[in-house]
Amino acid sequence: MRFILRMVRREARASWKRLLFFFLCVGLGVGAIITIRSVIQSVRDGLVREARTLTAADVLIATNRPLEAAEQARIDGRLADARAGRQSRSIETATMVRPSAGTRPVARVAEVQGVDAAFPLYGQVTLRGGAGYTHDLLRDGGALVRPELLAHLGVGVGDRLRIGERDFTIRGVVLSEPGRRVGAFSLGPRVLVDLADLERSGLLQFGSRARHRTMVQVPDPAIDGLVRLLRADFPRQFVSVSSYRTAQDNIGEDLQRAEDYLSLVGFVMVVLGGLGVWSVTRVFVRQKMHAVAVLKCVGASTGQLLAVYVAQVLVMSLVGSLVGAVIAALALRAIPASVVASLPGTVLALQPSAVLQGMAVGVLVSFLFSFVPLLDVRAVKPLLLLRDERPAAAGPRRGGRLLSRWGGRFDAATVATTVLVGLALAGVSTWQAGSTRVGLIVTGGLLTVAVALSVVGRLLVRLVRPLRRVSWFPLRHALTSIGRPGNQTQVILVAVGLGAFFILGVRALQSNLLDELSLDLRSGGADLFLIDIQPAQAEAVRAFVAERLPGQPSRVVPVLRARVTGVHGRSLSLDSADEVRGQGSLAREYVLTYRGRLEANETIVAGRFWPDTPASTPEVSIEESLRDRFGFSLDDRIRFDILGRVVEARVTSVRRVVWSDTRAGGFMFVFRPGTLERAPGTFIATVQGPADPAARARLQGELAMRFPNVSAIDVLEVARTVESVLGNVTLAVSVVGAVALLSGLLILAGTVAMTKFERLHDAAVFKTLGASNTTMTGMVAIEYGALGLLGGLVGAIAALLLTWVVSQQVLEIRWRPAPGLLALGVLATAVLSAAVGVVSSLDVLRRKPLAILRAE
Amino acid sequence: MIRLDGVSKTVQSGGRPLTILHPTDLWLPAGRTLAVVGPSGSGKSTLLGLIAGLDAPTTGRIAIDGIDITRLGEDALARVRGQKIGFVFQSFHLIGSLTALENVLVPMELSGVANADARARHLLDDVGLADRGHHYPSQLSGGEQQRVAIARALSNDPPLLLADEPTGNLDSANGGHVIDLLFGVNATRGTTLVLVTHDAALAGRASARLSLSDGRIVSRAGLDGPAGMAAEPPVAVARPDTAAAASRPGA
Repeated sequence: MRFILRMVRREARASWKRLLFFFLCVGLGVGAIITIRSVIQSVRDGLVREARTLTAADVLIATNRPLEAAEQARIDGRLADARAGRQSRSIETATMVRPSAGTRPVARVAEVQGVDAAFPLYGQVTLRGGAGYTHDLLRDGGALVRPELLAHLGVGVGDRLRIGERDFTIRGVVLSEPGRRVGAFSLGPRVLVDLADLERSGLLQFGSRARHRTMVQVPDPAIDGLVRLLRADFPRQFVSVSSYRTAQDNIGEDLQRAEDYLSLVGFVMVVLGGLGVWSVTRVFVRQKMHAVAVLKCVGASTGQLLAVYVAQVLVMSLVGSLVGAVIAALALRAIPASVVASLPGTVLALQPSAVLQGMAVGVLVSFLFSFVPLLDVRAVKPLLLLRDERPAAAGPRRGGRLLSRWGGRFDAATVATTVLVGLALAGVSTWQAGSTRVGLIVTGGLLTVAVALSVVGRLLVRLVRPLRRVSWFPLRHALTSIGRPGNQTQVILVAVGLGAFFILGVRALQSNLLDELSLDLRSGGADLFLIDIQPAQAEAVRAFVAERLPGQPSRVVPVLRARVTGVHGRSLSLDSADEVRGQGSLAREYVLTYRGRLEANETIVAGRFWPDTPASTPEVSIEESLRDRFGFSLDDRIRFDILGRVVEARVTSVRRVVWSDTRAGGFMFVFRPGTLERAPGTFIATVQGPADPAARARLQGELAMRFPNVSAIDVLEVARTVESVLGNVTLAVSVVGAVALLSGLLILAGTVAMTKFERLHDAAVFKTLGASNTTMTGMVAIEYGALGLLGGLVGAIAALLLTWVVSQQVLEIRWRPAPGLLALGVLATAVLSAAVGVVSSLDVLRRKPLAILRAE
Repeated sequence: MIRLDGVSKTVQSGGRPLTILHPTDLWLPAGRTLAVVGPSGSGKSTLLGLIAGLDAPTTGRIAIDGIDITRLGEDALARVRGQKIGFVFQSFHLIGSLTALENVLVPMELSGVANADARARHLLDDVGLADRGHHYPSQLSGGEQQRVAIARALSNDPPLLLADEPTGNLDSANGGHVIDLLFGVNATRGTTLVLVTHDAALAGRASARLSLSDGRIVSRAGLDGPAGMAAEPPVAVARPDTAAAASRPGA
């Protein structure tokens, strides 16, 4: 043990200059991990706050009836186990609301929500006029109402409303409230009352339709487990459990995608950092082979030597990781605070958990990556000292050949260790990716690309062999160097290829994701929804809108709310709603429509669209992404639950919808007329209202006069909130992407630069033989440029595949190839590799050859 | 001290077996000096490597100080090397990251010798480098490096010292100094010395001479013939631990 510790100390002291580079490379990798994860955690906190505001809870438990005592006890038990914090209960029911003073014979269906004093757990209720919300406003018969209800009923603040058997006083106007989402079509304008008052109103009798909600604060790590357990507890009853993370609507999905992307980037940084650590550890181990032979010759056992170098790697990687933490702290300080200013409360700071993770990954990866090469220690025969071979100085070629010649075969221990190391790496991957699926996809990609690169490397070595006859010295020797079996060709190809793969992949995904987000933003064009239009009123409403808002895009379409409860198809078969839930967003509530023709923004990509005539058997046309995501095909039968009515329809066509064309909007499922006309449905009109508030109010007033039962939902405020949330998501994704790009490039540069130690000896000999610095620079530039080009090409092709898989499987977004970005990436990789090769060789070129040869 | 019975070495070269040392018998009693001579590629270094346990013979048995080293595993061999054999290379093979003193210390630390530091200084003093202990190999001349290597080879006071062309990389003055050191060790400590050399004058100083050509012994001088081998006691297959412990310096 003493010998081991002494050797560690001595070696660290003796070669500290070389180790400085090791520390820098490990530090760069670890620093990148810590920086990215800190940024991710910081912006994720901001995103989570936004997401919670949209759900108003961490976990939401909803039922259509009051819970029985046993059920309540069960839920309470689960909540206690999960250390749940505050709870807020609410009941929501749709009912007729009319002014108490019977002067005007108007009434409206409104969504009355009774809330308790704990509401809202997250976010804020915004009132018109800037007044602050407190529960006292609701206590003892108070009500807060949406502005459209005032317009409908012709009442104002201070007036009284009759709801059920009680009178309520309007004490304020709600502009926005947590838990309300855009596009969640409600039955009427919102009225907030005290929960106790609502329970006394006589509205909640047996059989009445009411939604009972329990909103809970739950510590973040416990959320997913709690949701899973509760869902398992109530498989049959209609208890729906969701968290702010599983909210199945567009914004929830966008947030989820952003989070998935951030996890992916965090994981990719670990892989890239690991790559840097690997390249530096590899060189370190290789340089130690001579010392190993000498130590064996003077009596050291393999066990002792392994211990010495493993201990050394551990100590060095720990120091390197500390350097990384310092680098990360500096990097975070360098990011201007204004970048995240619009994410309220977000401060970019070193996160302790990120530091721990980064350092753990640094030490772990160094250890894992050095252990297999260090096993070569066993195969080092001291005999090579006698042969006057210089295993350390000669580089991989001679060392490698010698190792295999003198017994370095694949043996059980190497295979076992490699498998163990592989498993440990897979473990690290899953831990870092935060998702097994992301981990598997990226790890699979990593392996595939690594194998592809090594095959390409081998081919290249063969291909350049005949080219060695060219007369231009730098080119000839660059090619010779590439073609030399087992030299740095493989390392640079693998490092550059993997680096390009990940950087380009993440970059392309980012642009895909941002495209998707901005599509969502653009499609928010309509800001006034007219809902509950009865089928008989549809034509009149259409005429009214066309008259009042000439030239404005507006549409009146039939809508039905439905869930997919089963699929019988060629490649997808789901028997129950539970199985549908396993398909992710397929289980969400869809809004259907029916019509006899295609919209202007639709084209058929498979099957045939029906003629404009009703049919007696149900036919449905699905949107393209449903086919791509869930594997639907033509003639599949999909079972829908449309507000209790079950309809099974045959897929007869697949449509492509240009979502960015907001005039027509879009539906995932469109039915052929003839089936749904008698199903429980209404019409909606989507209108872009006047921007002027007075004109908006006037329009709503007139609407209320002509169509008393039609509600106008003004989502201008909500749309603005959503816009700002999505803007922040976009920002977060861009910031993280930029940091990832920068640190990825640095790591790549470090990795390539590390190979210079393998060229020291040859460079010295070349100089001794009279090669000028220009000649040497040319050689290096050609060699590294060619390798960079090839690695970049393989990486770019793989990145194309990665973005395809990830956008389909993980992010569930539309895949758009980014040929320009990839081509630019390949070119940049080649130039960067050549530049790094030359720059890292400057010091070799500057040094006197004798110094290098003597130091060998 | 050294006994070889039918030792040969065959390697695969270009897919074909190539015998670089044909079956060889040898017995060298303790305290003798043996020079192995012959042209390049004659098998000198192979023979030396086999005696040192740096390589395994294809056939035959090798015994060092009564221990059959052909039966030992890699770690046991390392222990035997550390305690019974000192090795001096043509190109020194010091560890570049260690100082001269530490290079000398390493074998003693590996075998757990007490008071190693003082002994290492003493050894450096013996080779005339008392004041160079804190220097790194790259700060030493070739002759100085070789002297450090000799001090290292002697650090565990091995009964057998093997030297592979120890003067091959040195000028004649430095070479002479190194040779004097090696033969001095033999004279003062009774250490058995085997050296491989091209240098006829150097070979002439040894008490016995073995000439190799094409992997065969072509002449022996000053060596007891195979007949004399019967006089040597039979080889004991000792466990290296006990054997090593028994001969540990100071034990």
